[in-house]
Amino acid sequence: MAEYTLDCLGEACPVPLMKTEKKMAELEIGDVLVVSIDHSCAMKNIPDWARKVGHNVEVEEVDDGEWEIVIEKLK
Amino acid sequence: MNEFFNKIAKNTYYKKLIKNPFTYVTGAVLLSVFQIAIFASSGNPWGVTGAFANWGAWIYELFGGSVDKWYYFSDAASQATLESGVLNNGASLQDFGIIIGAFLAVLLASQFKIKKIKSWRQVIAAVLGGLLMGYGARLAGGCNIGALFSGISSLSLSGWVFAAALFIGAFIGSKLLAKYFM
Repeated sequence: MAEYTLDCLGEACPVPLMKTEKKMAELEIGDVLVVSIDHSCAMKNIPDWARKVGHNVEVEEVDDGEWEIVIEKLK
Repeated sequence: MNEFFNKIAKNTYYKKLIKNPFTYVTGAVLLSVFQIAIFASSGNPWGVTGAFANWGAWIYELFGGSVDKWYYFSDAASQATLESGVLNNGASLQDFGIIIGAFLAVLLASQFKIKKIKSWRQVIAAVLGGLLMGYGARLAGGCNIGALFSGISSLSLSGWVFAAALFIGAFIGSKLLAKYFM
């Protein structure tokens, strides 16, 4: 049940999604990844991808134009 | 005052219409309706980057240059557009509308942020990519709006040719992206 972070601030699509996919592959089941983003389309495509794969996803707005996507690896 | 804004932030319609992004389908329908409106009112299909070439010419003229002899601007219609100025150019006004609209939308959603530049790589890629896209759009007779979106919606074969080329370009682009930005 480890928690990892991924800093994608200042990164534009599709880099945050590509980095998230790569990082998620390294995690064990039950681990949590927190992705920091400030690109609004990543706020849509990362959760879309993660839900499609079957992970638990939550998006938190931490500041104006800044979000944290919390992904729990389920498979 | 703060209380007032907190109340708005929790309002369902504010969240639905202004705060949360529209679905792709909603966006597609709105784009279709508005491009029909542009075509019906101006007589020209929607385009974005065509106006950039005129902006370049106007800026060049500000510094005393002349594009009268340039092949790209040599026809009568281009000369007339250049002479009548930016405020009489519908395509330019539409582009200003995009910039102002996007700015308003991000402010209303309370999501405005000046982003940090992470590396020189980003700067080089943005400048190179911008130049290539601008130059390519002029050679191709439009960008993904003028040539692709308006092309296909006018039942023009060129729109589909553009789409095929776009896929090839996006494929190469994503390989380069994975190589230099991952």
